Amino acid sequence: MKFIDNYLRSLLNEYVDKGYTRLMRDQYTENLFEMVPATKKAGPINLVELAMRAAKGLPVSRPLGSHLKLSPWEKLLFNPVHLYRFPTPENVSISTAVTIGRKAHRPLTVAIPLLIAAMSFGGALSKKAKIALAKGATLAGTATNSGEAGLLEEEREAARLFIGQYNRGGWMNTPEKYKRLDAIEIQLGQGAQGSSPQRTSGKNIGPDFQKVFQLKKGQEAQIRSRLPGVNSVQEFVALVRKLQKETGVPVGLKIAATHHLEKELEIALEAGVDFVTVDGAEGGTHAGQTVLEDDVGLPTLYALNRAADFFKKNGVFGEVNLIAAGGLITPGQMLKALALGADCVYLGTAAVMALVGEQIVGSQPFEPPVSMVIYNGKLTDKLDVDKAARSLFRFLNASVSEMEAVCYSLGKTALRDIDKSDLCTLDPFLAKATGIQLGHIAPEEQDSYFREFSFCHPEPEVFNSTRQEQQFLQ
Amino acid sequence: MDHSDLWNSFSYFLSELNRIETIAGTLATVEREHYRKLTGFDHRELTDIAVEEQNTARQLGAIKQICNSMAQKIQELQDTYKAGSGGSAGRNEVH
Repeated sequence: MKFIDNYLRSLLNEYVDKGYTRLMRDQYTENLFEMVPATKKAGPINLVELAMRAAKGLPVSRPLGSHLKLSPWEKLLFNPVHLYRFPTPENVSISTAVTIGRKAHRPLTVAIPLLIAAMSFGGALSKKAKIALAKGATLAGTATNSGEAGLLEEEREAARLFIGQYNRGGWMNTPEKYKRLDAIEIQLGQGAQGSSPQRTSGKNIGPDFQKVFQLKKGQEAQIRSRLPGVNSVQEFVALVRKLQKETGVPVGLKIAATHHLEKELEIALEAGVDFVTVDGAEGGTHAGQTVLEDDVGLPTLYALNRAADFFKKNGVFGEVNLIAAGGLITPGQMLKALALGADCVYLGTAAVMALVGEQIVGSQPFEPPVSMVIYNGKLTDKLDVDKAARSLFRFLNASVSEMEAVCYSLGKTALRDIDKSDLCTLDPFLAKATGIQLGHIAPEEQDSYFREFSFCHPEPEVFNSTRQEQQFLQ
Repeated sequence: MDHSDLWNSFSYFLSELNRIETIAGTLATVEREHYRKLTGFDHRELTDIAVEEQNTARQLGAIKQICNSMAQKIQELQDTYKAGSGGSAGRNEVH
């Protein structure tokens, strides 16, 4: 045995020596190392996706959204208190419940501000995964979301609180379906795909998918860019009011975050929506075209802050609920989103990963973890629904506990009481844009600090001084 | 049902909702205490039960909030009834 061991070692040594020598002597045109700068130039993800495009000639669809980190959550930090305001005593419980749609006849109250994001049966996830998400959410006292799908009976039964999407495919848009929901979210777009159309080919649609979506055999599932029957602002306003009147549940709007945000929100408020879901560019999806995931939309952090500011300016902050979505993974990020003005946050990728949890070993090493949860995944049958639901429940519980831990340190007794004043930032531009104080400077010196840097961008004072100079010159 | 019966029913609902709210708060405190005790053991099944207790406390918090919202709505109904306006409280006034 020792002889074989020594032989293998000397053989390996010889080949490694030869390899290193070739790496050092060969010119790039003959050198395998050429792959390293080429991969660094294009990026490993881009390089593989480039090869995928070249292999099929079709747009590349990537699961779970963009890999780009566009929202600088790490540049926000919470401000603990000691004497200025006293921390919350440990025997005081932190309130975590949130009511969505206070003005609706049947408001929706969840025990925690974490909701399971819209991920459709068929278009994205398997039936088992959807049921597990619903069960996990129910255990935690929160709501799950249908995604752009029809009404999946098993999911409705498993979910104590169920938000359904009135969607661009039209699959939930009939009274016998939407009257069975606890809240209605009119879906006009999503962070990962903007408002672009999507299509699921008929060959990928099984009998259960056909039944829920009411499709004929071989018929494709088409998500349009516009909501059927809504081609004007007036038609949107009429739809919101009709749904509110017919159902009595909170009716909201979901859009992809965009630089046109305030114009979109103005119309949503005119329609009288009960809540708005802003889905940032980091939002995930089952399979979105990479260009839509990486190059379209507005990051969650900026979009959420702008939406909250717009609500405050229009006097509806706290009255119309704001739900943030898109790339929120850690409890810290979730809590920062609440501090910026969200009432609740949607969890998609994080919820799916938590759902798979320890069962990940069942997919390794030959299949990715998502193969256990996506519709048409090779290992969907292997997912244990009850175990998955418990994993999700534990994840939600742990996340809220971590959020509560911060709340004690801030001297607050409810997660909903945390706001921008509990944060500081390490980025001057972020401070200027969001109104969060800059951590480098004492609170009372913030204004003078930024005044000194007013040359960075033309503020009214600069224009005035220029005019004075012009008068002086004349 | 005459006017006085209706008024008494509103008052009964309000009083019982306040009672449920108080009970939910007391139970939540008990659940949190269980959570603290059960997490003192390094035992997976006990930790699972502890997590359930902690979550139950949060759900009781949600019940308190629901009771509070319902009590407010009933108060609004009582006020409307008292004013004898005959109008309905809630969304219809807003939208």
